[in-house]
Amino acid sequence: MDEALVRARIPQDLVKVLGVESQSSSKAEAFTQAFLKNSIQQHARHDLKSMLSHKAVVLGYSRPKKDKTRRNSKKAKGLNARQKRAMKIFQIKPEHQRYELFLPLHELWRQYIIDLCNGLKPTCSPQSVQQKLLKADFHGAIITVLRSKCPSYVGTTGILVQEFKHVFKIITKEDRLKVIPKRNSVFTVEINGFISHIYGSKFEQRAGERSAKRFKVRGTLDL
Amino acid sequence: MSVDLDQTPRSLLISERSSFLDEKSRISSQVEQQHFNYKVSVLLPECGPTPSHLDSVLNSFSSFYLIRQLPIYELLDKHFLETAVYQGSVYGLSYRTRVDEENCVALMPNGRLCLSLDKDSFQVLGVEGKPSRFNHRANSRYVVSVDLTDSSMAPGGRGYLRLLTGLRSRLHLKTDFVLSHHPGGGASLQSLLSRHDWSEHRPEISHHALTNLSCPALPTSDLQSCDPHSFLEWLGAMDADVSCENSSSSFLSSLVCPEPKTTLSRALSVSVCGLLLPQDIHRLIQELRCYLEQPRLESWASLTVHGFVDSPVSWGGGEHGVLRGGENLYTLLMFHDHTYHLHLATGAHDTCPP
Repeated sequence: MDEALVRARIPQDLVKVLGVESQSSSKAEAFTQAFLKNSIQQHARHDLKSMLSHKAVVLGYSRPKKDKTRRNSKKAKGLNARQKRAMKIFQIKPEHQRYELFLPLHELWRQYIIDLCNGLKPTCSPQSVQQKLLKADFHGAIITVLRSKCPSYVGTTGILVQEFKHVFKIITKEDRLKVIPKRNSVFTVEINGFISHIYGSKFEQRAGERSAKRFKVRGTLDL
Repeated sequence: MSVDLDQTPRSLLISERSSFLDEKSRISSQVEQQHFNYKVSVLLPECGPTPSHLDSVLNSFSSFYLIRQLPIYELLDKHFLETAVYQGSVYGLSYRTRVDEENCVALMPNGRLCLSLDKDSFQVLGVEGKPSRFNHRANSRYVVSVDLTDSSMAPGGRGYLRLLTGLRSRLHLKTDFVLSHHPGGGASLQSLLSRHDWSEHRPEISHHALTNLSCPALPTSDLQSCDPHSFLEWLGAMDADVSCENSSSSFLSSLVCPEPKTTLSRALSVSVCGLLLPQDIHRLIQELRCYLEQPRLESWASLTVHGFVDSPVSWGGGEHGVLRGGENLYTLLMFHDHTYHLHLATGAHDTCPP
C-alpha cells in the first residue's frame, strides 16, 4: 500500500461532510501509536518492536568449496572389480599355461606349509596340521579330486593356480587349465605323507577370507 | 491269503497263452532274454520215476565256475575280451552280493557290463552313470552300464581306460563271481580263471516224488479253468512240498487247491539249481514237449524258471531291484497239443517283462 496515500490529508471539501479534521503529521503519528498500543494485546514476553522490525532470514547454507586436487595426489586408488575384469588380470595367457612353469610355485608352497606347521615331522598330530591347513593358502598345492557328484571331475590332478570363491583353477600335467567347482566335490592334498581331504562344499570362501573364518565341527559330510 | 492291498508293494503278473506251432509266438525270445536263471523246477503229474530222456537233458546242463574275490577290472582284460566276450556269450554275475545293500556286477551275453553301485562307490568311481529308477526321493543307488563291444570301449580307447583306472585305482571292487560261457564251455575262460581262486560246479538236481495230491483240473487251453494267481500259488506249494489240505487241525498253512480240482495219485517234481543258461532251458522245453506228445494220463506239464534275486538286471537288461522280495520268474504250463500258458511275474522294483 502506498504510504503516501495513507498519510495524505483529507481534501478540504470532505472535511465539512465527514465532520473530521486531519491532524498534523506528528500528532497523527502519536495518535496512531497510542491507538495501536491500546488495541493490541500486549504480552510482556514479546518484544513487539523487534518482532515487527525487519530481520534477515537464512534460507540455505553453502560453504565455499575448497580445492581438493591437492589432497588426492598422495593416495593411489585401487581398481574396482569391473575394471579388473576388463583388464583381464585374472586370465593366464596360453603361452603361460605350462605345467613346468608352476612346479617352482609348488616347491614354494611345500616350503611354506612345512614352515607353517613348524617342520612337518611324521610324529606331528594330524589335528594340529589340520588346524593350520584350514587357514593356509593353497596356491601352488597339488590337489586331486577324490569324489564328486559329477563323475567326469573325479581323478583330475594338478597344481592349483588360482583360487576363487567358488572354483579352483588347476593346471594338469597335460598343460590344460581346468576349472573345477568347489561344491559337491572332495579334494585331497598331500604334503609329506599327510593326506588331507577337503570337502569343497564347506570351503566356498575367497582365499583371503578363509583365514579369518572359523569352521564348525561336523560329524560326517555327505555329498 | 489276504493281504492289505494298500500296504503291498506292487507286483506284476503277465499271462500269455499261445502255441509252440504259432510262428508269432515269442516264447523263444522270452526265454532267451532272461539271462541269469537260478532255478528251474518241473512238475510232471502222474509220473513215477524220472523219464530217462529228461534225466539226460538235465545232466547235460552246462557247468559254471565260481571265482572268489575277483577284482572286477579283470573283466576288462584284453585277452579275456577277445577270447570270450567278443566270441560267443559270457554270462557272469556277482555272487552273494545284495543288490539293495552292496555293489553288484552283471556281465550280459551281448557284452554289456552293468554295475549297480551305492552312492559312495559311484562318486569314487568317476564313470558316467544314471541314478537307479527305483530310488525313492533321494538318490542312493546308481547304475553304470557300459557296452564292451562298442567302439568307444575298445581296449585302449578313452572310455575303456577311464573305466579301467576307475576300477583299478579309485574303486577297488572285488566280489565273488559266477561265470559261464556258451558255447565254448570253460576253455575260453581259462585265462581268466587261472589267475584266481576258482572252482567248477555242476547244477544241482533234486527229485521229489509226491503222492496223493489234489490238483486243479486243467482241460486243454481252457480260459476260465483257473485264475493265474491261485494256480501259481498251488504250484509254489507243490514245489515247496506244502500240504494243500487246509485241515482245521493244522495251523501251518491255509493254502488250498483251486477249484475245480481232481486228485492225482502221484507226481514228480524235479528242480535244478545253479547258473543256468537260456539255451539249456530251451532244450529242456523241447524235451518236455516230446514227453507230452506221448499219450498220458494227465496231459500237461509245468516248468518254472526263477531268476536271481540279487541280479542287477532282469529281462533284456532292464533294471532289477529288491524291495520286499526280488522275484523275477516265469511259469510255462504246457499241454500236449503244443499250446502253452505263460505267466511272467516280477516284484516291485522291476521293469515290465517282455
